[in-house]
Amino acid sequence: MTASIQRLGRTALGVIREMGRMALFLAKAVGYFFLPPFRPRNLLRQIHFIGLRSLFVICLTAVFSGFVLSLLGYYTLSRFGSSGLLGPAVAFSVIRELGPVLSGLMVTGLAGSALTAELGIMRIREQLDALEIMGIQPVQYLVVPRIQAALISLPVLTMIFDVIGILGGYVEAVHLLGMSGGTFIGAIELGMTDIGISLVKAVTFGLIISWVCTYKGFYALRGAEGVSQATTSAVVLSSVLILVSDYFITSMML
Amino acid sequence: MTAFSPDMAASVAGSRSRIGQQLVEAGVVSIGQLQEALRLQPVQRGKGDLIGSILVELGYLGQADLLQFLFQQFRKERLAYQVVPAEEGIIEFRGIEKILDGRRVLDGIDLVIPRGKITAVIGVSGGGKSVTLKHMVGLMKPTRGSVLVGGRDLATLSTKELSQVRRRFSMLFQGGALFDSLSVFDNVAFPLRETTGLSEEVIRHRVERALKEVNLAGMGGKFPDDLSGGMSKRVALARALVTEPEILLLDEPTAGLDPIIENAIHYLICDTFMRTRLTMVLISHAVPDIFNWCHHVVALHQGKVLESAPSWAIAQSENPVIRQFIRGDLEGPIQVI
Ligand SMILES: Nc1ncnc2c1ncn2[C@@H]1O[C@H](COP(=O)(O)OP(=O)(O)OP(=O)(O)O)[C@@H](O)[C@H]1O
Ligand SMILES: [Mg+2]
Repeated sequence: MTASIQRLGRTALGVIREMGRMALFLAKAVGYFFLPPFRPRNLLRQIHFIGLRSLFVICLTAVFSGFVLSLLGYYTLSRFGSSGLLGPAVAFSVIRELGPVLSGLMVTGLAGSALTAELGIMRIREQLDALEIMGIQPVQYLVVPRIQAALISLPVLTMIFDVIGILGGYVEAVHLLGMSGGTFIGAIELGMTDIGISLVKAVTFGLIISWVCTYKGFYALRGAEGVSQATTSAVVLSSVLILVSDYFITSMML
Repeated sequence: MTAFSPDMAASVAGSRSRIGQQLVEAGVVSIGQLQEALRLQPVQRGKGDLIGSILVELGYLGQADLLQFLFQQFRKERLAYQVVPAEEGIIEFRGIEKILDGRRVLDGIDLVIPRGKITAVIGVSGGGKSVTLKHMVGLMKPTRGSVLVGGRDLATLSTKELSQVRRRFSMLFQGGALFDSLSVFDNVAFPLRETTGLSEEVIRHRVERALKEVNLAGMGGKFPDDLSGGMSKRVALARALVTEPEILLLDEPTAGLDPIIENAIHYLICDTFMRTRLTMVLISHAVPDIFNWCHHVVALHQGKVLESAPSWAIAQSENPVIRQFIRGDLEGPIQVI
């Protein structure tokens, strides 16, 4: 009995310590955002890395999400005789929910995991130490451009997802279900809040992904096992955090 | 022996060409040849481009002859150190203890690394040599005790001050620690590009020279993954040398190299030392060979300093652990499974 309470306590302390370390890590990185030397080329390379890795899969996911939303929405709405609302229903779900969340999850799986593995390998091969010796701060040199790149890329990828997702819904509704294009498009009324929420979510998820994934890679334990463990836990933790924060943002801004 | 005129001596001293003076005094090159080399010596090329290599480029002296000469000079100085060890230290450990994963890896280390000398750290595998080296630049922080570099306690420095202190160092890591995403050339150029304001042209010159010195001229376009173990070690050595540091830490610079390259690296180390007078700390398993190469030896065992003394004293040590280690005996205080 006491043993299990002790274990519980130890785990809880471990979690709290980890959270503290993560917070300090982020604070340190953000502190470097506005400190020279700036390395715009590093930033561009990271944007390229995240964007290129994720773009194709995000487009693919977006098309099929649009298809399925349209299909399901059509059958549900037509039961109540309101299939004319299909356009807004698809647009609303894609922009407010599916666009940012699915983009976030895809980027986590595609770019985030690679990010953790890359930094983890640099850690175990002492490349981070080598940077430090040269008087270069690894957080500033490696982590900051990755976080900034994610903060920039995710909103862009989300916007692309939004557009392609709605297009997919349109194609399904008009060309496969036989709705008129005018009805689908005409009924869509999007306010700035919808797009705003999409962007707030995208930026938040970008922060979560880059923060968690760089942190896990940066503190990977020794050995190949350390890196694979770090990668797995980075993907799991950032996916969970994306879904949890999605709920809170949605409930706050509804 | 050729006599030195006073203004000749002054001009040689002004150009920091102690080697040049010694070469002339030993009759290896003439005063005229040295003067020509001095005229050609471009100021902006850095300390590495010293008179010896220019004389070689001019064809007044063979590369092998130069190395031989440098090594002889070095021997004289090394022998002098064996009789009268230097007093001044540059790195100092005071009661360092380090606990890693619950194990006491360093157990009360007191140590002084002499300034401007070559110090070798020897000891059995897993004895904490690499950990000791990492403490010298603050890559690891001691659990107890303090590390002083140039009289300043590393623990009291701010991040910025620590960065400044670190730029006086270069380190060759045991595993090389080359950046996988950069080519060999970019790896060697990296510290120059990121931490100095040198022009790309000067950087290219220095990188090419450094690669030539480690016998890898023309390999700049390759990537670390395409190199053999010995080659990546040499690239890492070039990267450590290219910044012309004040203190050079080498973690097993010749492990895994063939005997010819090993010898060449030893010459290069001696050559670099003679030209730049830096402080070197190197970890090596090449005993007793290494005693011909360094002024000072630190023997580590089970997290403690067994002995820290001029190399001849270690070579003749009565300590049973050191003797077993030097001879490579299976019997003795060090238990082999
Ligand atoms: N980062 C670390 N975390 C935990 N333990 C470590 C770490 N680095 C080294 N150790 C442990 O410290 C001890 C000393 O390691 P160190 O690398 O200094 O040995 P070494 O003397 O350099 O050996 P070798 O000659 O094989 O390189 C070893 O038992 C090693 O397992
Ligand atoms: Mg070692």
